[in-house]
Amino acid sequence: MKKNVYMTNLRDERQNAWEGILNYFRKRSMWMLYYCTGCGAVELPPTMTTRFDMERFGMGPMATPRQADLLLITGYLSVKTLKRVIRSYEQMQDPKYLVGFGSCPINGGIYWDTYPVINHLEMFLPVDMSIAGCMPRPQAILDSFEKLRDEIQEGKAVGYKRYEKHYDWYKANQDKVLNREDAVLQPWEDPFADKPTLEALQAGEKMEEGEDK
Amino acid sequence: MKDINELIKKFNSFFQEKAVLTRKYKQQYQIVTGRDELLGILNWCKQYSFYHLANIVCVDWLEDEEFELVYNLWSYEFKIGCLVKIRIPRARPWAPTVFELWGQAQVYEQEIHEFFGVYFPGNPDLSSLFLHNWHDLPPLRKDFDPVEYSRQAYTVEGLGVKPEYEKEDNSEGRES
Repeated sequence: MKKNVYMTNLRDERQNAWEGILNYFRKRSMWMLYYCTGCGAVELPPTMTTRFDMERFGMGPMATPRQADLLLITGYLSVKTLKRVIRSYEQMQDPKYLVGFGSCPINGGIYWDTYPVINHLEMFLPVDMSIAGCMPRPQAILDSFEKLRDEIQEGKAVGYKRYEKHYDWYKANQDKVLNREDAVLQPWEDPFADKPTLEALQAGEKMEEGEDK
Repeated sequence: MKDINELIKKFNSFFQEKAVLTRKYKQQYQIVTGRDELLGILNWCKQYSFYHLANIVCVDWLEDEEFELVYNLWSYEFKIGCLVKIRIPRARPWAPTVFELWGQAQVYEQEIHEFFGVYFPGNPDLSSLFLHNWHDLPPLRKDFDPVEYSRQAYTVEGLGVKPEYEKEDNSEGRES
């Protein structure tokens, strides 16, 4: 008997018949919450409006995370916004799908070497679909949505199940970045941290020139 | 006062050697001064129609071991911009706050304090504005290395993260 061994990488979750029926309906009414952190949001209006018309796939914008199925990360993510994205993602109800737009959620894009921008979104949240490009055109976006619909039908888009299963792994990564306690390179010693200097300055006393150096 | 040249004469006679006024471009003048005269000069400029503070810029001169603070002023009467520049030592940088003159200066100074470590005595709020949980050097200083920071703070190697599937028991594959 010939063995067909394929990599699972947690993307393949077996589904029963009922799950298949559910997925059939899920893929036809995806309401999306777009998190306009970066420049990618500019490609969404043409995708939504008459020319490319996302509505024909049953996709529409949704105002709150609790009613949305699809979270779009449109562009780079700084640490400060990552905190909000995680919060929004955790508020969404199962099943939920997360799509990273452009190069920045994949590997940092052109912001890979900057101090506030995270490099890999997959380390912090389960990404179901990534669209490469800077920025992806509406054709690419629609193509990726088409693929995402297929993956939902086949039961491969199970990011939310991965997130539940490996919550400790994701949570540890999030904590490492968000609740950092030590300096990464070298700690900053504030020269005005001591109180006497501070009070002297605030009282308006002039500091001597020798003291400055 | 309608003539800018009269104003320049008045400025020079008033401050003499304490400030150097030069014309940089057609519509831009520059005043280089010291930290002690800053408030007086800004107050004088505000009195003579330069009452718009557009922003405050901090420049890091690493080799001179100095910070340069640039106050961008604009006069609607003359349609002329004016830069007021001071240099402060890099080791213990502080400058008087101009919060009393322009209220919006509070945020600019808060930002400069966050990104350069310049202290503004008298500013009511110098807490962190943009950065999240920051313990390192102020990031816009020239001796801060953003590439190395990004490598150590956000990459897989820097964080010491194992790939997700390595801890997963069924990662070898599944028969079908």
